[in-house]
Amino acid sequence: MRILVVDDSKAMRMIVVRTLQLAGYDEHEIVQASNGREAVEVISQAPPGLVLCDWNMPEMSGLELLKGLRAAGWDVPFGFVTSEAAPQMREQALAAGAMFLIAKPFTPEDFQDALDPVLA
Amino acid sequence: MTYIPSADDLEVITREVWTSFLDGDPDGLVPGAPELGAERVTGCVHLSGAYIGSIMLQCSAPAARHAAAALFSMQPADVTQTEVVDALGELANMVGGNVKSMLPGPSALSLPAVVHGQLAVPGAQVVREVGLSWRGESLIVSLWQQAAAAA
Repeated sequence: MRILVVDDSKAMRMIVVRTLQLAGYDEHEIVQASNGREAVEVISQAPPGLVLCDWNMPEMSGLELLKGLRAAGWDVPFGFVTSEAAPQMREQALAAGAMFLIAKPFTPEDFQDALDPVLA
Repeated sequence: MTYIPSADDLEVITREVWTSFLDGDPDGLVPGAPELGAERVTGCVHLSGAYIGSIMLQCSAPAARHAAAALFSMQPADVTQTEVVDALGELANMVGGNVKSMLPGPSALSLPAVVHGQLAVPGAQVVREVGLSWRGESLIVSLWQQAAAAA
């Protein structure tokens, strides 16, 4: 399966990739995008099995990306990895169609808890 | 009465970020910051909405370089300004996002800004601040609030 990691911070994309490996998902192909617009290009070329996306990004936020995908009929599994994890953000994320929200900072166990039900 | 995160809250959040992504050592950050020299890097995010203010992360230049090296899995000597800016921006974003979750909402969190030197926010004042030492270098985390709102 392909997992698309979307974050405007290269450091955070590296950390997410490392955490995926530590959490045992190293058999999956991981691709990256630095904002929502780039992510749309990647998804339209070859839909991944899962999108892990930051919330707060230039060009197009994670929430705008998710809403755009759903409006266009893309039902790719989508989860947020974000520093903002207040209850109202979680509600907004789930209402827009996200499957989970992982708060930064996170651990490999946090990834397993969120991703295992999706990737199983 | 609105709860404003304490200096201890700022320390706990910063320690969690550092332990998770930079150090792996819960004791890596020590209370009390050495003198922050003129050569410093400041990462900042702004909040607007129910709370208007900023969260700032000021590091000595060596601390900023070491933080970037840890995040990018590089040697400090190989770190460029691009990596320092990315790292300090993301660290400010993480600390700021977690502080935001403790503040009254709803508020919007800005994208991070990073400057080499000190950053001033016109009309705002520091309401909480904690100084920490990391690898003998200084790290200061502060919560700012617009003066009218803080009064």
